[in-house]
Formats: sequence, structure tokens, C-alpha cells
Amino acid sequence: MAYSSRFKDHLAHPRNAGELPDANAIADEKNPVCGDRLRLSLIIKDNRIEAVRYLAYGCPPTLVCGSILTELINGKTIEEAKNLTRADLLNAIGGLPSRKHHAAALAIETLHSALAKSDA
Amino acid sequence: MPHFASELATFMTNRRVYLDHSATTPVDPRVANAMARAVVETFGNASSVHGFGQQARAAIDRARREVAALIGAKQNEIVFTSGGTEANNLAIRGLCETSAAHGRHVITSAIEHPSVSGVCTELEKRGWEITRLPVYENGIIRVDDVAQALRPDTVLITVMLANNEIGTIQPISQIGSLVREMRTAGQRHLWLHTDAVQAAGRLPLNVDELGCDLLTMSGHKLYAPKGIGALYVRRGVRLHVQNVGGHQERERRAGTENVPGIVAFGEAAKLAREELVQRSQHDRALRDRFEAQVRDRISDVVMNGDREQRLCHLSNISFRFIEGEGLLINLDLEGVAVSTGSACSSGTLEPSPVIRALGVDDELARGSIRFSFGKDNTNADVDYAVEVLARAVERLRMLSPLSV
Repeated sequence: MAYSSRFKDHLAHPRNAGELPDANAIADEKNPVCGDRLRLSLIIKDNRIEAVRYLAYGCPPTLVCGSILTELINGKTIEEAKNLTRADLLNAIGGLPSRKHHAAALAIETLHSALAKSDA
Repeated sequence: MPHFASELATFMTNRRVYLDHSATTPVDPRVANAMARAVVETFGNASSVHGFGQQARAAIDRARREVAALIGAKQNEIVFTSGGTEANNLAIRGLCETSAAHGRHVITSAIEHPSVSGVCTELEKRGWEITRLPVYENGIIRVDDVAQALRPDTVLITVMLANNEIGTIQPISQIGSLVREMRTAGQRHLWLHTDAVQAAGRLPLNVDELGCDLLTMSGHKLYAPKGIGALYVRRGVRLHVQNVGGHQERERRAGTENVPGIVAFGEAAKLAREELVQRSQHDRALRDRFEAQVRDRISDVVMNGDREQRLCHLSNISFRFIEGEGLLINLDLEGVAVSTGSACSSGTLEPSPVIRALGVDDELARGSIRFSFGKDNTNADVDYAVEVLARAVERLRMLSPLSV
């Protein structure tokens, strides 16, 4: 399939890749069907996401959704982050074919899971 | 001859290295020239009695001799088709439909191209029984398994000569001997088909040494354009015609002949025969240089398929901790074109059945990349590709939760 240049840019230059040693909210979720994985670590302070890093394994949409998600939630309040939807993420990417929507679903699920585990 | 140099120049502003010759090859300029002349000059219908038609007929005959010579066949044993897929369809369906009275059992391998496995599945729906032989960790089927699978009602064995994803060469001449033994012993309606699309033009082939009755070839894998292929049909083998409506190709494939395509295929077959040794030495040297550098520079790689019994232009490598399509796109962004066995590119959930058939885990199957070299690649192409590859693998591994 043909990917957009924005998509390819994130694929070649992932934003906020890695892990945060002093994260206080971590989630690692897996798509049981295809095996794609996303790991988010956040530092949440005063109800706000102060830092975010991600790791991902899987098809390009999964890698790119992770990268774009970190850009969207960095600096946001927990409430704002919780309200982020799959559609918001897909919009930010510039759309994905429907058979690749699972990548955005995994990203949002991992985000919710991290926020739920947050001890801040 | 059309001139594309200016478009090519724009295209080449960034470095581009084509390492996907198993998907398709660039058209050789000598082939393009022969084809362009045929388009303009040899427009007659080869079935016409007049001079224009006979000129086209003569051009087809010349091409047929060249294609036959590439595999040690006789000219009248070559049926031109639209490509490898049509040739495989004609071979398998055509033979099975003719032979149904003698039995409805087919033996094939688990790693066939979809144009063979798909036809087998279709036959299965129509009541045929299909035995799919496994390959072992080296990617090769065992002749003993073929012998075990044979039944009195087996009419066809269809096994590829060389695999398109990992390049492993299957023991066709041994299967051919087995088929001849069975025939001598009384099983007269047992035939052998081999899909040689990846092998033709890359390995020296002789249909008598192989002992096959049907053999599939494709033009665009040997520097001819797409849209032309051929089926070798041994004298005496009867096929139920799949394309009706004309007497062309000795009643085996109706339709006005694609003269430019056939001429191109003939020229490409001639060049492949003349340059076979030189090309395979060249491709092998590049492949070996590539694999040595990959082993040197990149950790956690698995080279897939038998090390010896494989095509000399192809390298299939799994990179641990990462997924193939992400790697493919990263390489493409820097101009290096390859293929992957990952599920994402094929639009299915299951990674390459061929790589899975080797018994490797999902992660390795998803992380497999096929690099296939060709006659126009250079050492500098290889070095550049390894440079880009090493960087891309490192970048994706930094991102991978599997490698921490």
C-alpha cells in the first residue's frame, strides 16, 4: 500500500522512542490477533503528562501510531488524554485503510491502560 | 525505440538500488529494442496467409526456438501464454481435466506459488484429492515423501523447481526418475509438472534431465517485459484446453499471438542462454558479498533456506525483534527495493507460509526480507544496501520492545 509522506517520516524518524526509567505509568499491550505490541511509559505530575516514551513491534501503522500518539499526549492533562479517540489518532496520521485501524485501536488501548495504572 | 532517458534522470536523482529481481526484472535494452521493432514492423496476424502474417509467424517461430533451446526442448513443445500464472493454470487444470478418468489425486508441495497452490485448492473443491508435502528446515521437500504419497490414482505431481521466497531448489530430476520408474511399472497416466518461473534463465535447465512433462516459464523474470510466459508440454502429453476460440499454439491456447511479447521473450531467452554462466557468477558474487557483510555488521540474523541447494541470486534473511514491512519501507525511503514475507504487506494475518513451513517462529517469519540480485547490480549497490540496512535495523531495534 502507498503510505503518506507524513506517515513515512514518522516511520523513519520515530518521535519519543525509548523508555523512561522513572516513569510512573507504564503499559505494555499486545494485539492478540497479529502479535503487534506497544509499550508506553509516562511521567505524570500534577495531573499532567510531563514526559512520554514508546516502544513498538509490528506493522508500520503500529509503529507510526505509537509515534504520533506520543506527540498528541505530551503535555496534556489526564482528562484530555483520556478523551483522545481512535478517530483523533487516525486524523492526525492522515487516515489509514480500515484493515489497519487495529493499529490505532492498540495505541488508544495502551494509553488508557497506562492512565489507569498511573500512581500519580 | 522510445527514449525514456529524461524520465529516468529525474527518477535517479536519489540513489536507487533494485534488489527485487525475484519479483520482476528490468527489461534488458536489447530485449526492448527487439520488442519495439516487432511492435512497429511485425504487426501482421500470424494466422494470416499473406506476407504480413507470415512475417509475424516467422518471428514467433524464431522466438519459440530460442525459448525451447533455453530448456533443451523441441520447438513444438512450447506453448506461449500470458505469463507464469496462466501457464501454471493450463498445466495443472489442463492435465487434470484430461486425466480425470485415470484418477483424481495430485501431489504438490507446501511452498508453491499461489498460481499453483490456488489451482490445487480449486481442484480440491471440485472433488480432487491434493497431498501437500512438507518442506523441512532447509526448505526442501524429500523424494521419499513423494514416493510415500504416490497412489494408483495419482495423475499429477506438481512441484516448483526453485522457491520464489527462499530460492531453495527442489529435487525435480529425482522426482522425474521416480515418475519414469512408476510408468515403467505400469502407472502410465502419471505426469510431472514443475513451475520453473524462478529458475529459468538462472539455472541451466534441460527438460530431459529433469524428467518433467510440463514446465512453466515467465518472461519478466528473465529481463523480458510482463505479459508473456510459456508452458513446455512434452510431446504426447494431452491437456484439456483452457482458452478456447482459435487454433493458435497447436490448439492448446486460443487467441491472436502477442507477437511483440513473444519476440521479446525469445530475445531474452537467447541472451539468458548465452550469458547464463556469466550472470550466475555475477549474481552469486554479489549475493555472497552481501551475506558476508550482513553477518559482519548485523547481529541476530537468521539466513533462511538451504545454504547449498538454492538459487545463486537470492538471499532471504530474518532479522530478530523487528517486523519486515517497517524495515522494507525504511529501506525504500533510502532507495533500496526488497520484498518481505511479513503478513502486513500481503494483507493477511499469517506471515509467509513458506517461511513458516521451515518451522521457524512467528517473529522470524514476520521479520524476513528477500534480497534478490540481478545482472545490472554492482558491488557498490551491495555496499550501499548493507549500509542502509544496518542503519534501518538498528533504528527499528531501538524502537522494539522485544529487544530490551
